[in-house]
Amino acid sequence: MNEKINITINGKAITADKGETILNIASANGIEIPNLCYLKHLSPYGACGMCVVEAKGSPKLLRACSAVAADGMEIETNSERAVKTRKAALELLMSDHDGDCKGPCTLNCPAHTDCQGYLAKIAENDMEGAVKIIKEKVPLPAAIGRVCPHPCETACRRTHVEEALSIAALKAFAADEVRKSGKSVLPEIKKNSGKSVGIIGGGPAGLSAAYYLAENGHKVTVYDKMPKMGGMLRYGIPEYRLPKAILDCEIEEIKSLGVDFRNNVMIGKDITLEEIRNSHDAVLIANGAWKSTAIRCKGEDLEGVFGGIDFLREVALGNKPEIGEKTAIVGGGNTAMDACRTAKRLGANEVSVIYRRTRNEMPAEDIEIEEATEEGVIFRFLTNPDEIIGENGKVKAVRLQVMELGEPDEKGRRSPVPVDGEFITLELDSIIIAAGQRNDSFGFEEMPVTKKGTIIADEKSFATSLDGVFAAGDCVNNGASIAIEAIAKANNAAKAINAYLNGVEVSFREPVLSEREVTKEMFEGKEKQSRVKMPTRPADERSKDFGEVNLGLTREEAINEAKRCLSCGCHDYGNCKLIKYADDYCVDCKKYAGENHPAFTETKLQVIERNQNKCILCSLCVRECEDTAKKGILGLVGRGFDTVIKPEFRDSEVIKDCVSCRKCVDACPTGSLRFIQK
Amino acid sequence: MCENCSKSDLTLLNDVLKEFASVRGSLITILQKAQEIYGYLPVDVIYYLAEKTGNTPAKVMGVATFYTQFRLTPVGKNLIMLCKGTACHVNGADAVEKAICDYLEIKDGETSADGLFSLKTVACLGCCSLSPVMMINEDTYGSLTPQKAVEILTEIKAREEA
Amino acid sequence: MRIVIGEGSCGIAAGALKVHSAIDAFANSDIQIGITGCIGMCFLEPIVDIYEENELKARLVKVKESDAQNIVNAVKENNLSLVDYLKISDEDNSFLTQQTRIALRNCGIADPENIESYKEKGGYEALKKVLTSMTPEEVIEEIKTSGLAGRGGAGFPTWFKWNAARQSDGDEKYLICNADEGDPGAFMDRAVIESDPHNLIEGMLIAAYAIGAKYAYVYVRAEYPLAIVRLGKAIEDATKENLLGENILGTSFSCTLRIKAGAGAFVCGEETALIESLEGKRGMPRLKPPFPAQKGYENKPSNINNVETFANVPWIILNSGKAFASMGTETSKGTKVFALTGKIRRGGLVEIPMGLTLRDVIFNIGGGIRNNKKFKAVQLGGPSGGCIPEALLDTVIDYKALSATGAIMGSGGMVVMDEDTCMVNMARFFLDFTTKESCGKCVHCRIGTKRLFEILTRITDGKGKEGDIELLEELCDSVKSGALCGLGQTAPNPVLTTIKYFRNEYEAHINEGRCPAGECAALRKYVIDETKCRGCTLCAKKCPVNAISGSVKQAHKIDTNKCIKCGLCKSNCKFDAIEVK
Repeated sequence: MNEKINITINGKAITADKGETILNIASANGIEIPNLCYLKHLSPYGACGMCVVEAKGSPKLLRACSAVAADGMEIETNSERAVKTRKAALELLMSDHDGDCKGPCTLNCPAHTDCQGYLAKIAENDMEGAVKIIKEKVPLPAAIGRVCPHPCETACRRTHVEEALSIAALKAFAADEVRKSGKSVLPEIKKNSGKSVGIIGGGPAGLSAAYYLAENGHKVTVYDKMPKMGGMLRYGIPEYRLPKAILDCEIEEIKSLGVDFRNNVMIGKDITLEEIRNSHDAVLIANGAWKSTAIRCKGEDLEGVFGGIDFLREVALGNKPEIGEKTAIVGGGNTAMDACRTAKRLGANEVSVIYRRTRNEMPAEDIEIEEATEEGVIFRFLTNPDEIIGENGKVKAVRLQVMELGEPDEKGRRSPVPVDGEFITLELDSIIIAAGQRNDSFGFEEMPVTKKGTIIADEKSFATSLDGVFAAGDCVNNGASIAIEAIAKANNAAKAINAYLNGVEVSFREPVLSEREVTKEMFEGKEKQSRVKMPTRPADERSKDFGEVNLGLTREEAINEAKRCLSCGCHDYGNCKLIKYADDYCVDCKKYAGENHPAFTETKLQVIERNQNKCILCSLCVRECEDTAKKGILGLVGRGFDTVIKPEFRDSEVIKDCVSCRKCVDACPTGSLRFIQK
Repeated sequence: MCENCSKSDLTLLNDVLKEFASVRGSLITILQKAQEIYGYLPVDVIYYLAEKTGNTPAKVMGVATFYTQFRLTPVGKNLIMLCKGTACHVNGADAVEKAICDYLEIKDGETSADGLFSLKTVACLGCCSLSPVMMINEDTYGSLTPQKAVEILTEIKAREEA
Repeated sequence: MRIVIGEGSCGIAAGALKVHSAIDAFANSDIQIGITGCIGMCFLEPIVDIYEENELKARLVKVKESDAQNIVNAVKENNLSLVDYLKISDEDNSFLTQQTRIALRNCGIADPENIESYKEKGGYEALKKVLTSMTPEEVIEEIKTSGLAGRGGAGFPTWFKWNAARQSDGDEKYLICNADEGDPGAFMDRAVIESDPHNLIEGMLIAAYAIGAKYAYVYVRAEYPLAIVRLGKAIEDATKENLLGENILGTSFSCTLRIKAGAGAFVCGEETALIESLEGKRGMPRLKPPFPAQKGYENKPSNINNVETFANVPWIILNSGKAFASMGTETSKGTKVFALTGKIRRGGLVEIPMGLTLRDVIFNIGGGIRNNKKFKAVQLGGPSGGCIPEALLDTVIDYKALSATGAIMGSGGMVVMDEDTCMVNMARFFLDFTTKESCGKCVHCRIGTKRLFEILTRITDGKGKEGDIELLEELCDSVKSGALCGLGQTAPNPVLTTIKYFRNEYEAHINEGRCPAGECAALRKYVIDETKCRGCTLCAKKCPVNAISGSVKQAHKIDTNKCIKCGLCKSNCKFDAIEVK
């Protein structure tokens, strides 16, 4: 029998073998002490400074990996000083850890869709796998792939080489392929929770929340005032961009999860909020922003003046608004583009876009502007409606104030200013004001709202002033944004609601991540491969009907495009101990930002790629190679901050002694080492 | 052999290896002797010593790059060791360093274009009372000023060129 | 009469060898010429002593080659008035007379290259006494009585370490002397080895006997070539006389002593890193425990002491631990050697009993600040220590009292600073040092010191940000508690003490863009005092960027936008008309 000692760790009395280290005793008793440079079969090293603990009576912190427990010791693993010291270690490590946990595409996507993940699946011709990954964040991939202004592509690092990947189109491609094959990718539904959730609004936010809440075993009912579900995707996006048959399929999939859809139900008219609250354990308000913003211009009340989203909704409902031969659209956003191209398709001869700035400032997507131009839309930049002139109560013309760009403001944005006395008059039969959208609080009178009229909800918990009532999407706080933003918020709200139903309070927090700062120079020498071009129907053909403009990619095109992905995100994100701790300790990665140590990536070990940028010099690989593999191929080179780990040192040679035992890769606590297939 | 491996006369190491190769813990001593022989530690010498002392090249390289005394590239004909100890710092070693760098058009750790001088700043030469101090080869020069340091270098240069 | 020339490193650097050969050239073979080590009065080197038998007749200072003939003649003619002009002044001599020398007792007196010279001063008597009349336990007891503590800086009781090593199991034990004196601004150990190597050897032999070590190593800094040569010769001579090797002095005690030269790494002053280096590895500290007394060199029980610690041992054995303990304070016994440098009038080696104040050392022995400048701070303990301000000059030299200030006793570096020294830049200087010397093993030291250095650099560059002082304090705190070894744990001390005592200087840099000492170039502004400028045009001619304009005999002006702050105008101005603001 070994001699025994008695100690306490975090107040817990423990009997342990004499001679054991504090770390081993704690671990055997279910108390985790963080560490980054320790492996049980190697001798303690003491580099990371993570395993420090406080022992009563000891002036210094002890490194638990090597300190042997003595009888009577009272140990505190999470004393204030130990936590502070650990946090500093992590902050220092992160200041010298040059890697991307996730690709910039994922980070820039409001819903943090794992673009790199599904692009890899597409590249492997595994479309179902791709859709599965997409649906972890976006339950409407075919629809969103078509309509999303894709912030992911804006952030794509390929822009440093040539052009961004066509990520959105690939997303739609994968979803289309799966749908065409007659398959559905659906989540496994968890056990029935016995709880029910009422969702007000069946748009992208409401549907996403329904999907994830249903997945978690809750009974979900969606209430929507319109005849069909889909919200703005159905009533705000024209058919030629998103064929509704495709949307129907995706909505049907959500329904198949057991979600109850109730259409033509308007809050405050057909049912009250109170009634919905009474019939559900939790309520999510996601009823969007459905009112067009007025521009406060004389003549706005004339017949023949339409709101942008009102106009699009009417068309979507199958009505034909009277816009006549000549029409104009006021605004420069995507709604304006949708409206002008729709007007063209309704048969208007002369369609103008009135925008008070220039093309450069237009918030609409480039491709939309280009396609509208191809279809014959006339752009009248630097003009602004001064008065809508009527005759017999009907629109006859618009008087436009000529504008010019003023001096740049603090943000460098140049505001338009009127040119004194310069006006143009444009003859018109109708005018469509696409200057924005706002909320309608009808039916929600009891809820406090912002100045904009949006419902006030907590940014992190999505809770409103009413218990059990949550709100997300366009109807909340800052108001309308893009669909993926509404989906992102709804996903997080769903998590919050799920937690609420399980009796815990969850406050949503973005995880701590490492992000690289890159420059164009870093991409010099990368082989250039141009971005795939989405084929479209000819302008004169497509502008006459509402058939889809885009013809879609071929499988080969899609696979090749997906292969362009630079895989910026770290392969090891899920297993990385460093980032796990950094997140646990909520560290500020930039707190001690400064010079980074010498950086390089090398593959001298043939099947092992070593990325020094991510190395934290724990030396586990060196010690594994020397002590376990008995090879001693890896070694520390240099001293102090500039120390690096290198296999020998002849930079141009492959190391033949390496037997690819992979012990180093397995030991690495970060993504610095990676097994590669050659 | 890789491109930066020179072909050194490895037989020069015979005596050193005979004396120390089998003595445990002598790696640093052996590297010191090797550097005395070659003026620096050529890559092929490091490989050879690894083989002869039963160490992996990574290990020898680790030692050779840990200690500031070891050089992996040849040095200039005259090695200037400029003291940057506390006393020298307080008495203006930074200004002296700047003057030397400007005069030779090099930075710390570099060798002048004509190969005559290498500059290396060192922690403390232990001649604090004469600070600021530099050693050029075996000779110590104390109570330096920027001007005085440049004069000394000019003199050596003139002598070398003569 | 005989002539003795001081040939320590400082003396040689000041020209002692040239003086020596000049004297040789004039002297006939009948004049005895000898050498000695360092007397410690570096500010007066080269020093030449004239002895009659063992009596010092004259101490000649700042001797030049051209004085050689006079010196030789004075000796030949027995007429010392010929060299009156070279004799040390009483004031300068007070530098020595105020000291109490134990560790340095033979330095500058004995001939370091001659074992007989050491023996004449009572050398190796202590070893004989120990080997013939004391048990190891009695030796340890005597050291315990003396209160001798580690002179390398930590101040750990020497007897305790010896005892721990003695008690450790194993018949193969090692004794190691740490002579890797790396603190910039410290050269006490070098002086001892160069000037009195046998004293070190004797001290080590006594320690080896006490702990039962058969093998001893001296780990010497590579930058001390002269020390290595002299110690090597001393080992050779001692071995010849059976003071080293098998069955020393006919007893059963055997001990060999080897020199290992370091290769340039400050961290090797840390005992576990030193052991790694001795083993031929990268000098990266090991985790403690196990302590070297249990598992040290080659995993065998080992004891490591610093040079000065050993240098006290023979004296203690001969004069008793009690005599040693009668000097000093309650908690710190005996004497301590300091290397007094910086902006001090009389710089050099100073050995004083513990308990004197800093003011005693700096002003009485060192003569105060050079060039009538104002004292600002004294830095103790090198990169591990701290800066002590004028208000604390009456602090007594004692391990405890000095630690209370935030500085440490350290190994003995004592660098004096005047009003022209910027304390932020001083902290930056030390962090630059520790950053370069960090072995790179542990996170807190490897990256922490680097980040401290970067923050300090941005402050001295005039780019400091609000909150930087607090950020420094926070990071210092974490590095202290998280670093693996003493180097990292103490690296923040210079920053913390300068913030503690000179916070206003930090604030001036950050908030006002001003360096109060005028040292930080980025914040310096050169201005010509029109009342002093005579319009000689010299500054304008010297200015490398043509930033100075003005007509002859008219006051000149500096264009601050063009000025690169090189300071050439100021150093060339004959009228002291250029001010730094």
